[in-house]
Order: sequence, then C-alpha cells, then structure tokens
Amino acid sequence: MKIEERASTHVYRQKRMFTKEELEARERLCVHEQPPYCNAACPLKLDVKTMTAAIAGGDFDKALGLYEKITPFPHLLSAGCEAPCEGKCKLCSLGEGIAIRELERAAIAYGSRTRSRSLLRKKNTKIGIFGGDLFTLFLAGELAKKRYPVSLFCSQTDGDALAASCAPDFSEAVRTATARTLSNLDIEVFWNTDPSQAYRQHSCQFDLTAAAFSVARQLFPEIVPDEAVMVSREHHLITGPTQGVLGAAFGAKKAALSADRLAQHLDPSNTRGEEGSVETRLYTDLEGVLPSLRIAVSGPDSAKAEALRCIQCQCDVCIRGCAYLRHYQTFPRLLTREIYNNVSIIMGDHMMNKPINACSLCGQCSVLCPNGYDMGEICHIARQNMVTTGKMPLAPHEFALMDMLFSNEEAFLCRPQPGHQQCRYVFFPGCQAAAIAPATVRAAYLDLCRRLEGGIALILGCCGAICDWAGRYELYDQTAAFLDNALAQLGNPKIIAGCPTCKKELSSHPGLEIAGIWEILEQIGLPEKAHPPARPVALHDACGARGDPRTQRSIRTLAQKLGCHVVDTPYSGDQSPCCGYGGLTQYTNREVAKKMTEACLERSDLPYLSYCMACRDRFAREGRESMHLLELVYGTSADHCPDISAKRFNRLRLKQELLKEYWHEEVDTVQLGFTIRYAPGAEALMDERMILKSDVIAVLQHLRSTGEAIADADTGLCITRARLGNVTFWVKYQETEDGYLVFSAYSHRMNVVNRQ
Amino acid sequence: MADKNYYTIDPEGKLTCMKCRCALEKGKAKFLYLDNGFPVELPVCPQCGFVYVPEELALGKVLSVEKALEDK
Ligand code: SF4
Ligand code: SF4
Ligand code: SF4
Ligand SMILES: [Zn+2]
Repeated sequence: MKIEERASTHVYRQKRMFTKEELEARERLCVHEQPPYCNAACPLKLDVKTMTAAIAGGDFDKALGLYEKITPFPHLLSAGCEAPCEGKCKLCSLGEGIAIRELERAAIAYGSRTRSRSLLRKKNTKIGIFGGDLFTLFLAGELAKKRYPVSLFCSQTDGDALAASCAPDFSEAVRTATARTLSNLDIEVFWNTDPSQAYRQHSCQFDLTAAAFSVARQLFPEIVPDEAVMVSREHHLITGPTQGVLGAAFGAKKAALSADRLAQHLDPSNTRGEEGSVETRLYTDLEGVLPSLRIAVSGPDSAKAEALRCIQCQCDVCIRGCAYLRHYQTFPRLLTREIYNNVSIIMGDHMMNKPINACSLCGQCSVLCPNGYDMGEICHIARQNMVTTGKMPLAPHEFALMDMLFSNEEAFLCRPQPGHQQCRYVFFPGCQAAAIAPATVRAAYLDLCRRLEGGIALILGCCGAICDWAGRYELYDQTAAFLDNALAQLGNPKIIAGCPTCKKELSSHPGLEIAGIWEILEQIGLPEKAHPPARPVALHDACGARGDPRTQRSIRTLAQKLGCHVVDTPYSGDQSPCCGYGGLTQYTNREVAKKMTEACLERSDLPYLSYCMACRDRFAREGRESMHLLELVYGTSADHCPDISAKRFNRLRLKQELLKEYWHEEVDTVQLGFTIRYAPGAEALMDERMILKSDVIAVLQHLRSTGEAIADADTGLCITRARLGNVTFWVKYQETEDGYLVFSAYSHRMNVVNRQ
Repeated sequence: MADKNYYTIDPEGKLTCMKCRCALEKGKAKFLYLDNGFPVELPVCPQCGFVYVPEELALGKVLSVEKALEDK
C-alpha cells in the first residue's frame, strides 16, 4: 500500500460535493437562524429577542430604537397592539411567557430617542392621503419615514383631535404623545377638510393617492381593494379595511410597500418578500429552564427583571455539545455552505481546509440536533472529495497514515491459535490498544484462549479507521480487502473487537460476525484478577459506540460486575463527545483536539473510565486519572502517555514477543551496529515535532553511508540530514565512542536542491 | 538575469562540510514543493553541494510557505 502526496498545486480538477438541491436539503435541516417564536408571530417583525436582551442589559435606548424601527407611532402601537407574540413565547409552555408589550412600553418610557436625521433624500413621488383614521395615520407616518412628500387631508381639527378619534380608549398621555409624534413628522396636514371633497378636488395633484377605507367607500361604493397589497388597482387608490391597532399598523406597512412599487411603476404585487407573521421551524431546548411567572413592570428595574426571564430562544444544542463548532464559532448550516464553496474553489486559497480536517467525524451533532444534522458526514464527504480532485494535502494526515501502514505491515500479526487449524474466534484488539497498552492486550488474548472453546486467532493491526477518517477511500478499500483476506485465511472466524471503533469499522464488512470483547466477558464472566477502581469514576462513552446501544449497555453491566461506582455525566451514551482522537483531529489540529479533550473532562472531576484506548490516553495526557475498562478487568496498566516512538515500539515488541512465546517464531531483529543516546529534552522535542526515533536512525544510517554532514562552530554540534519519503529530516548530534548523542531534530516537507 | 531570492543566509565561515573539510559558502539553492519552486541563497558546500537548511528557517518561513501551498 502506498500513500501519495498530491502532485501539484496547479491541477485544476473539480467535483461537486452535492447537487444544489441536496445542499439545500441539508442546510434546511439546521434551524439555527430561524426566527424565535415571538419574532415570527409579529406581523411587523419586531426583533423581540434583541429588544428583551437590550432591556435585560439596561439599554433602554437600544430597545426603543428597535421598537421605533417597526412603527412611526410607538406610543399608539404599544398601547393598542393585540400582541400575538406573547401567546407564542416559548416560556408559555413552562409558566408565563414574557410580557412583551409591557417591555415595549418600558422601552418607550425609559429609553430616549436618538434623533438621527434621515439620510434618505426626499423622494419626488407626491402622495395625497384622504381621511384621518388609524390606518391613514400609520400610513402617513410610514410614508413620511420613507421620505415621500405626504399631504394628509382630514376632517379633524388638530393632532389631538385626530389622536382622540383614532384612539378613543387610550390614555391622555398616549394621545398627546401620538399628536406630538405626528407634528414632528414631515407631513403636511390639512385639518378641517372633508376628505371626499378634497379627493375630488386635489387628487390629480398627486402622483399617488391613498384613503381611509371609509372615505374610499364613499367615493367608490363598489370598491373591492386587493387586501394583500392594500390597493384598488381599478381606482388607483391605496386603501383597504383593517381591524384594530395592530391590523392598522400592518395594513399601513403593506400599503407603504405598495406605494414603493407603484412609485416605480411596478405592479404592487411585485417582489414583496415575506410579509406578516411566519411559521418558525426553530427548536429551543428547554432543558434546565425553570418555569417562572411574569414580573409586574413598574419601573426600569422590574422591566430589566422581566426581560431577564427571556431565554433568548435559539437552537444551539449541537454547538453546546461540540468543542469543534465552538472553536470555529459557527453552526452547521453556515459551515456547510462555506465547506461547499471551499470545495468548489478551483484555484487559489482553500480557507476551509483546516475546519474540514479538524472535525472529529464523531457524529455527536447528528444525535443532539433535533433534525439529525450530521456535520461529520459532510466533513467526511468533503475530505473524500478533496482526495478525488487531488486537493487534499498529505501533510495533515501523513503521520497517521504512515502509522496505520506500520500497524498493518511491520507490526501486523495474523495467526491462528497454536494447535488450531481453524479458529472459531479472532481477537482484534485494535492498533491503539497495542500501542498504548500492550500488556493489557496480551492478558486479554491469553484469557480468551484460556476460557473460550474453539480456538482464538489473533490479528494485530489497524481496522482502517485512520484512512477512512483521512478521506483516503482507495486506501480504505485496499485495507478492507487486506483484512478480509487475512480473516479468510483464518476461516472467517467471529471477530472479537477490543475497540468500539474497530467494531464499527469491521461491521461494515459484509458477511462478518463481530462482537466486542465486553460482550464476550459479559457472557463468560470476569477473570480472577479483575478489580474495581478505588474511587467512583465517570464513564466516558466512546464516539465509536454511538448508535451501538448493545456496547454501551454491555460496558455498564461489566463495570457494575466489576464493582465500579459509576457516576453519570452529562452527554453520556449516544450523546458523548469525542476525546479529540477521532477523525484524526489529534493530528490535524492539536488546538481543537485539546479543546475536545478538555470539554470531555469538564463533565466531571472524577477519574475517567473509558473503553477506547485513544480516549484513555488523551485523558491521561490532560492530567486526569484515566483507565480503560480492560485494564481493570485484567489488572494490567497501560503505559503512561507513551510518546509516538514508544507507541510504535510497543506494537512491534508485542508482536515479536507473542510470536516468540506462543508461536515459537524467531524474529530477526536488525542490529544497528551503533548506539544512539538522546540529550535531555531531545525526545520530548521530537515527540512534539512528530519525529520518530526510527526517522533519526534512518538519518544517521544515511550519514554513515555518505559521510554527509556539517559542523557548526557556534554550537559545536554536527548536523546531518536525509530525505525520507516526502520529508527531509535533520539531526543535530555529537559523535560518541560507539555512536551518537542526539540533541535535536527537525523536518520540512519542501525539498531543497542546488541551483546553477 | 538578476535573481529574486526568497531567502538569503550567509554562513559567515562558521559552518564546515565534514565530508569535504571546507567552509560552506553562500550559494544558490532552490526549494521545491508540490510543483512550485522558490530560489533561495543558503549555506552550500562549494565542493559536494550540501545545502544546509537551518532549524529556524525550517520551522519558520519554510513551514509557513508549506502550509500556504498545501491549501492552494
Ligand atoms: S442542533 Fe445545530 S445543526 Fe441542528 S438545528 Fe440546531 S444549530 Fe442547526
Ligand atoms: S423566551 Fe424570549 S426569545 Fe423566546 S419566545 Fe419568549 S420572548 Fe421570544
Ligand atoms: S466534531 Fe463531532 S459533533 Fe462536532 S461537528 Fe464534527 S462530527 Fe459533529
Ligand atoms: Zn562538501
């Protein structure tokens, strides 16, 4: 098997990830940007959520600004609005919904207006409005705000009288404020005129005319306006019936939009967008929200308190669960679009490569999301797409892929149990188990051989998850065929997987029977050495066991049999987050991987019990007491945070020792012929830089055959290098009596050559 | 033709080729990556042509150019 670097950055191939329809269907699943219930219910589209947030923060000016956006007459509207929003407030399902109208009134009472002069130029289209009622009052205000020259003809004697006739039931204060607002608006009012007469006399002076519906009916008794747009096309008149304060305000909004269209000589039905209240598809998780009752608003403080009850409805369940989404401060719909666009870029910078490669493909989002949005699947498809088009850089995944090849070549082992031609079972512990806990793997294998009938074969290798995660589907197919072949040679025994991810990956091979070792142990019971941990533990479910209730249950049963005191944590079972190893996040983006691990550990202060060796290792690296279930079952310990070289060494030594002890096969180990020692800090530095001891050996062997090195007078060190595959490795060393003392190593992927 | 060099390092006589037993000199070299080339001047052995890429350069400029190219 071979892993190849992309040939060139100048290959301009492209393949679409999804059809437009598929993209939209996926995006539609995410309701993050759907309006909150209150906003959706308001036909005037008040941004209630932002307004309550402003009031909760004491910013009444901002709240008022938001409210004034939807109406020219805030006092009038807030006094009379029927407030359909209030009944739709999500909190109604728990206790009492937010008193939105009271908050609007508070915004008016305690906020001050920022008198910004309109930046709009006065328009040319002159509009005459005939008759003074709620509808025409709102309409005059709307049109004046849009900077149309507006003339209003009404029978009332002045603003107070107009306000009084529009709003007879409201307080003096509301009426006075409304009259004051009207006088501040740029509207020419002709008081004391008969509107019908005025229409007959003056309508020809205007480009557009509008009328109170009562006036329109006096003028044209047969009139039937199109209420959707508040226009009578036949009579070239903007008008229509309305009911109540909100109805009048909404009718005026529709009418004002029609005026815009008519002013441009367009049909009023033209491109109006979505009007009025809408159905929202938003989902808001109420978990942890306590029911509460309304707080009577009597001053700024009680208004703040009432606004603070608002839970700021939004859907962010996946984001709360996933450290990756939090890191990129995004949500799946937007991220999907950006990834889709990134994949479509033929030439130039692919800014989303990093996010595409940083997702752990764990599928937690698909479980948390009310609509099953699977961001991991999308990132996976994007990776495969990039591999297809030759746009996937090898650098982020190369180490992991080489490590997989190591597992399936040098460190690979496949043998039937000694004394058995055919075996009923094969134990497949997984590459990470052998790398991190070789003693546990050995103990488990011997135990299975001892206690199960029918022969237990052993395969030490990688299930192929690594190349699957990297999006290298050809390599994955090769790996799958390779494993199928090995299994066929053993007579296709039932697989006993030691790792939930191996179980998941191998389950996708057709015709194989598979179980987790935990299920077997549940049947045959625990071995003698099994012992519970001293303290209560938090159980972390592996992301590989998501959607595998059998494994999750079996692990719990075993833990109980062991006598573990397991404490439940949030996000357990199917909802479990990834430890940072999945999807190769650990290799592609250490920062995100670390945040994932930290998020896992935030759930409890207790030691962590896991059943995936990668989880076990990552938790230990974050300094948490961490144990794998099989360590407890077999009374063996995993290595404490082995470095990348030790993880290889463990796999190789396990293979060699088992071969020797159980199959009596001698493995010739190559004698180096020289020794390598490492100066203090050198090994840690190499681990950090992902440089293996085997790389250093290869460089020094190259040195011995070529003699190519330089001496640095400043440091007194010698420096040599070799190109190994796609990478040039440099080693700083001093010669010793029998070999070398290595001080540091570094690498680069660029090739450096001489030039004339 | 005047060369545009992306990077120049002068060994200032502090580096010796252990094979040829002579001092490295400022010489012409080229970085190649994913079908892109960058002319540079680095410490080079005048006899065997060994090109030295110092650690700071490898982990600094070279790495950032690699990353930029990888996402092209
Ligand atoms: S859970 Fe996430 S993906 Fe699903 S709707 Fe909410 S924000 Fe969108
Ligand atoms: S809780 Fe707040 S955001 Fe949610 S529906 Fe009620 S008022 Fe609107
Ligand atoms: S890391 Fe897991 S939960 Fe987060 S987006 Fe990726 S697959 Fe979904
Ligand atoms: Zn030389």
